[in-house]
This record gives sequence, C-alpha cells and structure tokens, in this order.
Amino acid sequence: MTTDSIGFGHVDLGTDPLAQTPPTHDVVGGGAFGGDARPCASYTLRVNGFERPVTDAWIGESLLYVLRERLGLAGAKDGCEQGECGACSVQVDGQLVAGCLVPAALASDSEIATVEGLSAGGTASDVQQALADSGAVQCGYCTPGMAMAVHDLLQRNHRPSEVEARQALCGNLCRCTGYRGALAAVQVVAEARGAVDELPEQEEPEQADPPEAAAPSAVPVAVPVQSAADLSLAGEMPLYADSEAWVEAEQPHPAQPTAAGTGIGVGIDAVADYGVDYGDGQGVGHGVGHGGAATTHQTGVYEPADYPPYPATPPYNGTPPYDGTPYDASYDATFEQSRYEATPAHGTAHDGPPFEGTPAHGTPYTQTPAHGTPYDSAAYENATYETATYETSTYETSTYENPSYDNSTVYEHTGYDGSTPAHGIPLPEDDHA
Amino acid sequence: MLPASLDEAVEALAATPGAVPVAGATDLMEAVNAGRLRPAALIGLGRITELRGWRYEDGGTAVLGAGLTHARMDRPDFAALIPALADAARTAGPPQVRNVGTLGGNVATAAPAGDTLPVLAALEATATLARAGSTREVPVSHLLTGLDPLRPGELLTWVRVPLLNAPQVFLKATGRSGPARATASVALVLDPARRAVRCAVGAVAPVPLRPLEAETWVAGCIDWDARGEDGATVIDPAAAAAFGEYVAGACVPEVLPDGTNEGLAQGAARVRRTVSVLARRALGRALK
Repeated sequence: MTTDSIGFGHVDLGTDPLAQTPPTHDVVGGGAFGGDARPCASYTLRVNGFERPVTDAWIGESLLYVLRERLGLAGAKDGCEQGECGACSVQVDGQLVAGCLVPAALASDSEIATVEGLSAGGTASDVQQALADSGAVQCGYCTPGMAMAVHDLLQRNHRPSEVEARQALCGNLCRCTGYRGALAAVQVVAEARGAVDELPEQEEPEQADPPEAAAPSAVPVAVPVQSAADLSLAGEMPLYADSEAWVEAEQPHPAQPTAAGTGIGVGIDAVADYGVDYGDGQGVGHGVGHGGAATTHQTGVYEPADYPPYPATPPYNGTPPYDGTPYDASYDATFEQSRYEATPAHGTAHDGPPFEGTPAHGTPYTQTPAHGTPYDSAAYENATYETATYETSTYETSTYENPSYDNSTVYEHTGYDGSTPAHGIPLPEDDHA
Repeated sequence: MLPASLDEAVEALAATPGAVPVAGATDLMEAVNAGRLRPAALIGLGRITELRGWRYEDGGTAVLGAGLTHARMDRPDFAALIPALADAARTAGPPQVRNVGTLGGNVATAAPAGDTLPVLAALEATATLARAGSTREVPVSHLLTGLDPLRPGELLTWVRVPLLNAPQVFLKATGRSGPARATASVALVLDPARRAVRCAVGAVAPVPLRPLEAETWVAGCIDWDARGEDGATVIDPAAAAAFGEYVAGACVPEVLPDGTNEGLAQGAARVRRTVSVLARRALGRALK
C-alpha cells in the first residue's frame, strides 16, 4: 500500500554492493560477497506461546517465510508478498499485521499468534466455525487470514457494526465467495459471545484464543521449549513432524476440521442436525416418499421401516496379499515423465516465457464504442436468412431508424474522478461538490 | 538488532554503516521480497518507545515521534489535533499495514503516493534528524525533494507540526473503494491567524506539489471575517471551482495531443480533472 516505513533513516540503494548484480544470481547464499552478501542470524520466536528456535536464517526472511518454511506452520498463506492480500495475516504483540512484511529477525521478542493458535486442542474456534457455517469458505486460501482478521476485530470490538466489520476486513482479499459470508460470520460470533456474556451463571465460553493473545504484553513466563509431543495441545498441524508425533496429534480428534477451518467437519454436523429433526417431525409414515433422500444422509438415525435393513459393510481386511502377478512395465510407458522438479527457491527467477508486462499507464487501447453508439448495420442489411421451413423465403430486414434520434451531438464523457471517501465512510453532504 | 533507546539506535547506526533502520518495514520488506533490496543489517526501531508518541511545545507546535503508527494517528485524540494527518493515516492502507506503518517511515521512504506527505507539505512541517552526538532540523519538503537529504548514519526522529486549530482536509482519489494507492491526493489547510490557505497535491509527481499562486489568490477570495457565522457565504462557488482549475493547472502539466502521445494526453487530462475536483471539494469542506 502507500504507507511507508522503510525505517526513518538513510537507505543508500546506490552503494548497495548487490544493486548492480541481478538478485537471482546469488540466491543460494554466499556468492561473490561472502558472508556480507547474505548475513544470517539465529533467534527464537515465541509462536502461540511456544519458543521456537530459528537458526542461521537470512535476516531478510519475512515472518511468513520463517513460519511456513522453517517452523512448518503453513496456516498463513503466501499471497502477494506486498501486504495487499491479507492472506498472511498474523498477530504480533496482539496487533494484526501482514506476516510477509515483518522481518522475522526483528520479531524475536514479540508474541506471535498464528491461525494455528486459534484452534486450541484441534477443534475449530468459534470464529473459524462461524466462517465455515456462513459459507465464507470456498477455496480456503484467504480463510486463515480472514479468520485472524475477524479474531482481531472481535478482540478489540465486541459488537462491531457492519461498517466497522467492513473496515476491519478491507485488507483481506477474497476472490471466491465475496465478503457477505465473512461479514455474517462476524455478527454470528459477536452475538454468540454476547449471549454467553449476558448469562452470568454460565461458565466462560471456551475461548480458543491463545492466552498471550488476550494479554499481549504479558510478562514472559517460563515457557517450555516446544517438543513434538506438545503439538496436539497447540492444535498445530506440523508439516515436518516425525510420524510418531503425527499419530499422537491425530488420534484424539479424528474427524475434526483442520486448523485452517475447512468446512468438511462442519458440513457433516449440519447434515446430522437436519436428519434428527426430520426424523422426529415427519415420522415413519412418510418414509416411503422421502426415504431415498433421507438415507443418503449419513445420520444413522432415520431408517424407514419399509426398507430392508442396509447390508452391513464387511470389515476392511487390509490390502490383499501379493499374489505373484508379474509387474506390467507397460504402465510406466504410458505415463509421460513429469517435468516438474520442485518449487524453486525463494526469490529464484522463474524460467517461463518472459512476462511482457502490463502496458504502461496511459497506453491507448482500442476503445469499446460508447453505449448507444449506432452499430454498423451494413453487414446486416439485405441479408437473406435461410428459412426453408417457412413459406416466405426471405425476410425484409429493414433497418430501424428513429427519426427523433439525433446522433450528430457528441456526448462529452466527463469521466469519474474516483474521489471516493475512505472505505465505509458515508459521503457527507457537500455543497461545493 | 533491537535497540531500546534513541541513543543506542544512533550509535548502532554509526557502528554499522550498511545497516538499514527498520520501523514498520512495510515498504522495506516489499522491496526485499521482490529482490530489490538486500540489507546488510537491520536495526529495528520498534522498541524505541519515546518515538512512538508525541509531545507539545511552546508556540503551538506538536512534536510527533517518527514511530507513530498510522493506526495511532487515526485515533480520535490525534484526529482532534491534526485532522488532515488523521484522515491521511486512515486511508493509507488496510489495518494490517496501518498497524505497523509509521509516519517517519513514510517520510524516509518518500514514495510518490505516500499519503501523509502532502499533509506534511501543506503544514510546512520540519523534521529532526539525529546522528551520533548531534541533531539538525530540516523542512520536510527539503527532505522529500532531495534539497537536503538524509545523510548516512542519520535517523529521522521527530516531525514538528504546527497546531493551527482550523479546518484541515485530506482527500484522495483511488482506484477502488477500499484502501489503495492514491492516483491523486490533496491536502488543504486553513491558517486563519495569517489568513492563508495552504494546499499540497500528492501522488501526481515524485514529491508533493504546492500551488503557491493559487493559494494566495484563493486566500484573497475568502471572506475571513464571515467565517464561523451561521449561514455566511465565505466564498463564491465559482471561485472555489476556479481554485480547483488553478491548482490542477499548476500541478499537472498540460499535454497537447499531437497524434503521437494520445495516451499521455488522455492520462494527463484525467489527472487534471481529478486534482481539480479534489481541490474544489477540499476547499468547500474546509470552509463549511
């Protein structure tokens, strides 16, 4: 965006020893400039309440990159690397920031809260659940950032208005569903939390927030170094955890949605509710007419009496033993060898055809004719249509001419000057506008 | 490196010549992610709490810390002091960027579309630059134009802004209704004590532009004595419209189409019209 902040000091781009060399040549490190070209640092990040050591990381690595590639927390997504899309939103010291725009080395003594910390114990937090329930998730790429933005908004503002919610989410781009679902989720969570607060006899709602997010500047207490066995407590889905820890983390919650808040588990819940209500209200008598639809729901509650019992699925016996069938090598020949090697390293230039680039601002383009321009009717005049099934073989195609329409006057398009006020702020009455 | 005080930061900057001071890092990391910048070392300024607030000085001046974030400037207590700066901070970007982006970083980066820059130019702010053992005061406009740039080892610490107690307006034209880079922006500040209008146009040139002749002309058109009375007409609407044209003509050079530069001429005409409308509206809102 247009804001700023390279620091308050002098940045001499001209004397940068690497400014003259293409930056893609020395991605691997070292290069011709030794240690100075790629200064590294080791530090410890406090992520979701756990100390996570990072060793020998280049100081220019963003917090997003370190979280995803070094710590295995792939919840925050890498969208634009410019702070435009909000898919990488995380909280640093209780403030919502774009993870791609934070140098990880400078966040070493900050409290970092990621979307993995929202879902304590492997269950989706109320924000994530509401996002899934209200249809704000389609491809899911923006969802972790959206969940963090909604979470951050509701931490600061317990009853956000529609405009406040829109302003809070204006930095999270979603190209699938639009924002209606996310805005509805904000209101759902705000009302649910408000309803719980109004009943003092009830216990506190099960806040999925990590404790440090509620008290961002808490005095650092002795925090255990995270081990693989702790991962199920943190609700994190480690990418690179060894297989033992993975099984441990998975077993207690086999059917829960992932930390990123996909709607899979939620969809099953909703169907289950529907099936129960349907069975109670409609009864067995309607079972013949609606049984086909009802049994497709995986509820196990409603079974019409008219139908024979569903045959039990034989238990799964595992993969059958190898029966000695020879390996048919002709299968391999039918597959084309994939030329995909690996994701190139961070910052490597891609080797596709060169991007021509968006044309420069102000480049003329062939204009679409203005609305109401009389179309070139020469091609259609006196055209003969094939109408073999009709008795008259040709139609009279007279061109429409409105005698009152004077197309000699040229409409001067004054243009939209684009001076909209800030997002969500109603336009004030302006005598001089 | 995370110095906790200004002195430590200045010493660290003197000790490591290639180090980049980092405040909000929103522009720095964009350049680093794109491979345009490879810092030799980073000096984080986020822990210097003295730079994250502001104080008052005699003579009606506010001294703003360079570490003031846009989110902080948007808050009502600050907006009561310098409304135009608060407006500029509010529209500067999404919350994720405004939470970390700082005033000092905006000045030091001096991006053409920096939103606080036309406001600082219209307010005729001055900046304090600190280096090990000494400080100096430079007008922000001199910093931006490169007349008196930041030298190696210097750190922008404070921005001195006059408190005018008068209407101030910042208007910005963007490509979408959400926060976005400005295609043109206008900051207009009334100075009733000196019976002056100060205006700056941002994002149409590498630095904010001041249409000085248009300012003096329109200051003569305003009925300053009628200001503040209910129902008083302080300026003729035609004069306000003429002011808009005057500002646009002063800031955006006219490009006459000669067959080869049609796109350029169209773009210039569009920007002129935008600036003209913004300036007219800014004057109207300031005088209301």
